[in-house]
Amino acid sequence: MPIRTEETGARGEVRLRVWNLPLRLFHWGLAASFVTAWLTLDDRYRDIHVFAGYVMAGLLLFRLLWGVIGGPYARFRDFAFGWREARDYLKLVLQRCPPRFLGHNPAGSWAIYLLLGLGLLIAITGLLTLGGEERHGPLAGWLSFAQGEMAHNLHELLAWSMLGLVAVHIAGVVVESLLHRENLVAAMLTGRKPSKPGMVSARAGRPTGILMSVAIAAFGLSWFHGYLVETPERPYRPFSGIELPDQALWREECGACHLAFHPSLLPARSWRTMMAGQSSHFGEDLFLERDSADEIERFLLENAAEQALTEAAWKINRSIAATETPLRITETPYWVDKHKEIPGRVWEDPRVNGKVNCASCHLDADAGTFEDAAMRIPVDTGGALKGLWEAMTSRFRLDSSHAGIFNPKG
Amino acid sequence: MNTKPIGIAALLFALPFYAQADAVSELEAQYRAKGAGPFSAAAGEALWNKGFIDAKSGKERKCTLCHTTDLTRPGKHVRTGKVIEPMAPSVNPKRFTTVKKIKKWFVRNCKWTLGRECTAQEKGDVLAFLKNL
Repeated sequence: MPIRTEETGARGEVRLRVWNLPLRLFHWGLAASFVTAWLTLDDRYRDIHVFAGYVMAGLLLFRLLWGVIGGPYARFRDFAFGWREARDYLKLVLQRCPPRFLGHNPAGSWAIYLLLGLGLLIAITGLLTLGGEERHGPLAGWLSFAQGEMAHNLHELLAWSMLGLVAVHIAGVVVESLLHRENLVAAMLTGRKPSKPGMVSARAGRPTGILMSVAIAAFGLSWFHGYLVETPERPYRPFSGIELPDQALWREECGACHLAFHPSLLPARSWRTMMAGQSSHFGEDLFLERDSADEIERFLLENAAEQALTEAAWKINRSIAATETPLRITETPYWVDKHKEIPGRVWEDPRVNGKVNCASCHLDADAGTFEDAAMRIPVDTGGALKGLWEAMTSRFRLDSSHAGIFNPKG
Repeated sequence: MNTKPIGIAALLFALPFYAQADAVSELEAQYRAKGAGPFSAAAGEALWNKGFIDAKSGKERKCTLCHTTDLTRPGKHVRTGKVIEPMAPSVNPKRFTTVKKIKKWFVRNCKWTLGRECTAQEKGDVLAFLKNL
């Protein structure tokens, strides 16, 4: 049975502590990590996005514990309202006379349970995506790329649901603040609410709060310290991919005139066609001797995109129609889709110098891994908000070849 | 005093230069066998700086487009931007040490720059120019 912390009449003069420090830190920490995760949708900020996810998961697990030992108002049993109670409360809201609760009201409680549940599911699907698609995190390699992508789709659907629920939660806070003429946002900042004497007060929980803050700060420092020690020659790469197969001859011959594009970036039929046409290789006669050409071709075919050595390889290969044999990586539909937001002036900039120079932005182009966070566009692409909008809406646009639940054709 | 290790070290250090002399003289012998020679560094330098109009694009092509005029410094591939190691053996001792590589690059780069393969005389002249840089 929930403790009835509702007050019906007027408020008294005392200002009770309702939300203790750990609970407030949880609330704003969750909000901040959720916003950060949305702001870092773009592949470039994958490390920040994953960090926000870990913080969110940690906070949610803490909240489960705090729901048992966190004292009055924070304990689940103090706001274990049934569905009927929530419905009855909402009816009273519609009549503009809902009772005032010091802790969570019955409708708000339901929002909290749903937010906790969604948050945990988002953390789980995020870990599955990280392990399946990116091959990082504790579940690295446990799932196939296809399973990772399924988790990714689910992750996005859940994140959108949570965004909707957050909107409902904020609307509820605004409505209740107006109806009861009290600032609930301020109450979540200070922890205090006006009350009549005799109601139970929460303990401050300062040691737990300090421990939480230190833990998050220490985690942040250990996660991002690479940025503090990086140099222009050795920029920090948050994620290091697996070491891909290499071949000295391939690197020397192909890498003499351009980046040694890793075999995993084109399907076998493309490499076969390219090596057969080595006498007119994009306007040049390569004049490779038979034995050299054969050795290089063997390496290219053994590690072609079909082998799915990386996420990029898997997605590039999947994006190409069986009837097509692209000779440029930049002609593959996956590449085109991933680079469609890049404005023309970026390619024209001398620091980038055209689409052939993967390494101008991809820090690990030479290794061939093309990790998400290993990306630095040397040109200011302007408007972070514009980029966010594009990232958020890319699924819904008709031109997108991004496969997913909203656009199954892709 | 035992000078043997120093002597061996000196030999090892000089090895690339011997290799270079070997590769270049082997090629020069092949060019002479085809009736070319004597070779002139001045003629090689003139060819190095000469422009040729590409029939397809109508644009001028020349060696210096990628290798630049200061051969002791790295060049830059004109289409891909890839850094090219310096041509001068004095700063890049690996240059002109392998017959196979010299042949390959002559075919590749003559075809692109001149629109045809270079003659034995032209190749001998360019090597005479480059080998002493």
